[in-house]
Amino acid sequence: MSDGLKRRDFLKVVGVSGAGAAVAGCSTDKVERLIPYVTPPEEITPGVATWYASACGECASGCGIRVRTREGRAVMIEGNPDHPVSRGGLCSRGVSALQGLYNPDRVATPLRAGANGFEAITWDEAMELFADEVGTGGRSLFLTGRKGPTESGLLNGFVNAVGGRRVIHDALDDSALREATNIAFGVHTLPRYDIAAADFLVSFGADFLDTWLSPVQFAADFAEMHGVDHGEGVDRETKGQFVFVGPRLSLTGQNADEWIPARPGSEAQLALAIAGELVRRGADAGPYTEMVAGFSLEDAAEAAGVEAEALAGLADRFAERSSLALGPGLAGHHEGAAAANLAVLILNAAAGSIGQTVHIDAVADTEASSYGDLTGAIAEMTSGAYGVAVVAGTNPAYSLPQGSGFRDAFAAVPFKVAFATTLDETSAMADLVLPDAHPLESWGDSMPAPGAYSVRQPVMRPVPLYDSRPMSDVLLDAARRMGRDFGAATFHEYLRSAHDAWLGQNGESTGVVGDPNALWRKLLRTGSVSYADLSPKVASLQAPTTAVDFGVPGFAGDGDLTLLVYPSPRFGDGTHSNRPWLQELPDPVSKVMWQSWLEMNPATAERLGLRSGHIVNVAAAAGSVELQVWVYPGIREDAVAIAMGGGHTDYGQFANGNGVNPMALLPVTTDEGSGTLALVSTRVTVEATGAWKRLASTEGSSDQDDRNVTPAVALSALGHSTEEDAEDAHDQLRELQEVGGFRPVATEGRAQDYPLPGSDFGPYSEEHPRWAMAVDLDKCTGCGACITACQAENNIPWVGEIQATNGREMHWLRMERYYETVDASHSGTVDIRYLPMLCQHCNNAPCEPVCPVFATYHTPDGLNAQVYNRCVGTRYCANNCPYKVRVFNWYRYTSENIPEPMNWQFNPDVTVRDNGVMEKCSFCVQRIREAGNRAAVEGREVRDGEVRPACQSVCPAEVITFGNIKDPQSRVAAAAGNERAYRVLDEVINTQPAVYYLKKVTHHDVDEGGH
Amino acid sequence: MATADLTNRGALPNPDVKKYEDVNRDILKVLSRPGKGWWVLFSIAVAGVGLFLTSWFFQIYKGLGVTGLNAPVGWGVYITTFVFWVGIAHSGTLISAILFLFRAPWRQAIYRASEAMTVFAVMTAGLFPLIHVGRVWHAYWLVPYPNSRFLWPNFRSPLVWDVFAITTYFTVSAVFFYLGTIPDLAAARDHARGLRKKFYQITSLGWRGTDREWHHFSKAYIYLAALATPLVLSVHSVVSWDFAMAIVPGWHTTIFAPYFVAGAIFSGVALVITLAVPMRKFFGLEDYLTVKHFEAMAKLILLTSAIVLYAYLIEFFMAWYSGEPAERGSFWNRAFGHYWWATWIMLICNGFIPLILWFRRVRRSIAALFVISIFINIGMWFERFVIIVTSLSHEFEPWAWGLYRPSVVEMGILIGSFAWFGFWFLLFTRLLPPVAIAEMKEVVPPPLRRRREAVP
Repeated sequence: MSDGLKRRDFLKVVGVSGAGAAVAGCSTDKVERLIPYVTPPEEITPGVATWYASACGECASGCGIRVRTREGRAVMIEGNPDHPVSRGGLCSRGVSALQGLYNPDRVATPLRAGANGFEAITWDEAMELFADEVGTGGRSLFLTGRKGPTESGLLNGFVNAVGGRRVIHDALDDSALREATNIAFGVHTLPRYDIAAADFLVSFGADFLDTWLSPVQFAADFAEMHGVDHGEGVDRETKGQFVFVGPRLSLTGQNADEWIPARPGSEAQLALAIAGELVRRGADAGPYTEMVAGFSLEDAAEAAGVEAEALAGLADRFAERSSLALGPGLAGHHEGAAAANLAVLILNAAAGSIGQTVHIDAVADTEASSYGDLTGAIAEMTSGAYGVAVVAGTNPAYSLPQGSGFRDAFAAVPFKVAFATTLDETSAMADLVLPDAHPLESWGDSMPAPGAYSVRQPVMRPVPLYDSRPMSDVLLDAARRMGRDFGAATFHEYLRSAHDAWLGQNGESTGVVGDPNALWRKLLRTGSVSYADLSPKVASLQAPTTAVDFGVPGFAGDGDLTLLVYPSPRFGDGTHSNRPWLQELPDPVSKVMWQSWLEMNPATAERLGLRSGHIVNVAAAAGSVELQVWVYPGIREDAVAIAMGGGHTDYGQFANGNGVNPMALLPVTTDEGSGTLALVSTRVTVEATGAWKRLASTEGSSDQDDRNVTPAVALSALGHSTEEDAEDAHDQLRELQEVGGFRPVATEGRAQDYPLPGSDFGPYSEEHPRWAMAVDLDKCTGCGACITACQAENNIPWVGEIQATNGREMHWLRMERYYETVDASHSGTVDIRYLPMLCQHCNNAPCEPVCPVFATYHTPDGLNAQVYNRCVGTRYCANNCPYKVRVFNWYRYTSENIPEPMNWQFNPDVTVRDNGVMEKCSFCVQRIREAGNRAAVEGREVRDGEVRPACQSVCPAEVITFGNIKDPQSRVAAAAGNERAYRVLDEVINTQPAVYYLKKVTHHDVDEGGH
Repeated sequence: MATADLTNRGALPNPDVKKYEDVNRDILKVLSRPGKGWWVLFSIAVAGVGLFLTSWFFQIYKGLGVTGLNAPVGWGVYITTFVFWVGIAHSGTLISAILFLFRAPWRQAIYRASEAMTVFAVMTAGLFPLIHVGRVWHAYWLVPYPNSRFLWPNFRSPLVWDVFAITTYFTVSAVFFYLGTIPDLAAARDHARGLRKKFYQITSLGWRGTDREWHHFSKAYIYLAALATPLVLSVHSVVSWDFAMAIVPGWHTTIFAPYFVAGAIFSGVALVITLAVPMRKFFGLEDYLTVKHFEAMAKLILLTSAIVLYAYLIEFFMAWYSGEPAERGSFWNRAFGHYWWATWIMLICNGFIPLILWFRRVRRSIAALFVISIFINIGMWFERFVIIVTSLSHEFEPWAWGLYRPSVVEMGILIGSFAWFGFWFLLFTRLLPPVAIAEMKEVVPPPLRRRREAVP
């Protein structure tokens, strides 16, 4: 059928245009795809999901995942609760792996660069060419990202066999920390942090909840350390304190209790001064004791532009409590990055945290990225030392500053090979592109911590549209062609034998014993194995072998604003920019979608006459970019910040042209200690262009404006019952009722209160459960993983920049962020509140009575259901929803925005919505029904915790509890009975939501707003 | 007395009109060959209807995304214009039915035009609920009809009430309008030739003007007037409940029903003036539409203007007095927020400009009334815009606040709706006597008597 007006659409138009004529076409989309099995494969039952345990391949953290497949297609990724490191959590980037798998811009066949761009060739030709060039084309440079241990072993073996050199490059480079650990402890490795074991946590700019090291693991640890447990008896010691030190509140910083807005570059001074103070009070900093004693709090405060008293306060708590200081993260990489990391390690040592909250394994980490190595390789490439360059899993042409010379050097290499799932700025320059399999289609493994091993298994046949092969298989094949033998035909075999070999060697000592085949099968089933960590530890500082300069680094350029470039919590270094889910995920800090923005303090903005949305020219010595301003009280007046990940030019339809790449502004400045690239290295000037463009932001107002939608409670007030206050409130309400006011139902939300009096309009039934949710705001870090999981589970389309700017994003769940106390001008309390807002499934739902056609109604188990097929699209329900959680299909977003094969990811259990209907959170009704059916078949009740909505299933901090609130034993009933529980706006409009929020607990006193 | 008044139907003695023949001639000449001006206007109207339909079909084809609507502002120009036209539709029934029952003597010259206006305004208004829904091809689901799925509309929803209110109002006002024109259609029939004669023959239903017919006609007219009267109050009350029944701050107010009814009459009378002034001029009906009539309408405007101004102010007061943050926030935003200009247009046009009607000279100046009526039309459109858009943009949840900017398509449909209305109204002026001939004759001395003995 031709494009343009289709017969059916024509009928629709004709049908309504005849005045009052009731002629209409059936409106649902054509049924095109049927289950394509004539003879069904044995392990697949149509309609029944198969789960595979695997390991996430999206970043170097190596979290455990479980992948849900339906009819042979991966449809959903969740965290693997059995995984020792990630413990069931996952981040947005992990969930978005599905969009890497089904990305329409994936390379379909091997490509060879010709005169007119790339031309497709066969794998045979490609392998021939590859083996030939790598074998005889001169010395090879292998430029790769970080790989799992076995794959890395194969890769290193291959590189050695062909006499090449391997350079690992990850733009999220932690070599400064590695180098600092080497200086302090003599081991070239990363320290392991046990945040959960601390009760006083200071981050010197480490964005451990955003991008630093292992954010999912840290989010879980942080929730454990910083959350107040629900249940009876509040133990005040369970709520740790978190202080953020740094020029800008990242997502991590926003979760802090206190903020010391220190100048960029002053971290070393601050850490050493505090260590010095501890030493003066009798602590021991090993060989550094004398050195740190020379640092005074006053000098450090002066250098950092903060108050000395605030630092003294930190020192007090370091001395008293089980503490942990986290070194400057990637956003703190400047010329003194290694020194700053070292200073923080010294502080940890002085505070006695080594071996308590900081663990140093005495095993060198070989899979380490280093910009120093890369600069060497660039020089060698330029000088013609290499005949062949192979690039895989890294994109230096995008992620390095122009001044690094990578592009020219790489272009000068005679033969360039790229292993790529999708073309990017680097692989687009290659002479030969080999379509690499996606991590979800290939074998691999990861070792996120000593004693934690997980295997990555393919969860489906490679997407048939793309003739891809895993790099590891290609290497084995190439080796064979070159007459080398690695003892395995495929990487699967290679991995298997590596596993068995490891068992043979270490099985006894680690307690992993048994039949290798059975153990392997168990590993595949559980995804990971944990065993005793036998690696030796280093416990004490060693004397420095090199001189370290702890001074405050200077920044190049003559502007008055220091530019902070930081890895994006959504895109990392830009690797994930080609995922529309992530592009449309509001940035956890700025809430901006699809665009780049310049963060600027309100005072600076006022001085420059700028408001959010003004387009400015940001100029540094290396170059300039134009982008919109976003005014943010959480950044110092003398700094501005831009996230990495924007401004792609060759990374597919979802990344190209969105935002700007801050690398254009950065000079090539490296850390003196480790040689890593400094992200904070220049000053910039900001000039208004006079133009203004609306930011594609979900932020309506960050001020609660007395609505008290996210009240908090002070830790000191916890445990003292506020029943008297509650009585007062009820008295007031009764008074109101007597004079004819509305009649709110005074209920504590106890299980036996259901159905609530006055809420019996719907067909509630005694037999049915009443589904409810509890959200612990004290643990929520605002990361937004729930949003992406919800989007993946419920077939929620993305709408693109223009639609998002118009306020039409389709998310069923949004993360509201309210500023209570944020002040960059001096140290002190910071209080930023998150509120994950989703359909509240009110007992007295205002949306229900106004729908003229019963498209929204209450189910017997208390869900506020939305019947898409019945919806006419009056939008009255959305107008009347006080929580504004209903979203409308303004266009055919699903069919128009989602290209083949991204629609392969659709969850078959969830209706795909058409143009003109309303939709909203369903409490993942498909999961409720699935659990209900399973229970019915097994002749039992649905167990508490059996139904886990998508948002709950990825949340690393276990913020969300879901269950039947009529069951007094259920966890959600317990949470609803918690003294912190409240329901948003319920006291104002008597909606009686089924979502209970547990108030954030603050260390400072808060005004509870009279509720 | 009753009988005399019934036949008299509250007509106002009019010394300027001389004879029955004059009445027939003056009014029916309007129906003769249209002039250039009419054709120009009619072409513009047809073009506007084209714009209207093109915009609408484009919207149906692409989706409601072509509007500027979003979350949180789910209703915008369409519902604003819907309420605007429903409001306009009220004055017709008010002038013909209520003033008829109250024997207001000044209605006879304008009631035909205002009734026509009512019918066409309802025809325009009724399209907007269809235009604004996401799946117009399913809009008939709002109508309770027996079906195999046993699915009924939700009778708790004010939108279903709307369906009843609008369809009832359209039916009654159309029948009332048609009934009133029957004697005049017969008069036109007697003067027309050819195709036109055929048309009037059919539409006049064989009216001969016998006593028996007049007797039945009068009965039917008064009953229909009595039936239509409560509708004037109920229809706009129901429309106001679309808002008042919702919990949106700025909508959820008990004052809405009387406030909307007063506003409807206010805007309807204003549009009658807007239409009557040029009609009077072009068709030379100065003898029939006199300054007295306009002054009476001006007084009605003054009264209803005072009511709506009171409503505006009391809403602000109640918002403050309630102490409720969302309510206060909504009204603070209304006056000083992003849409402050719309609110001030509303207040100035509807509340303050009509105050100059306290001066008799202004009330009796046709030009001044025309200008004021235009301001009121604009102001009343903005009143609905303010109520709908500013309230939705600033509700309970601060994070969900948002703004709305109407799109080109919405503007096309807004402009097109005036063209659609104008299209029908222009046809009306050519096909039906725009002033009630029969009733005008009641105020003209009967031909057998001398002028001096005019009816008291």
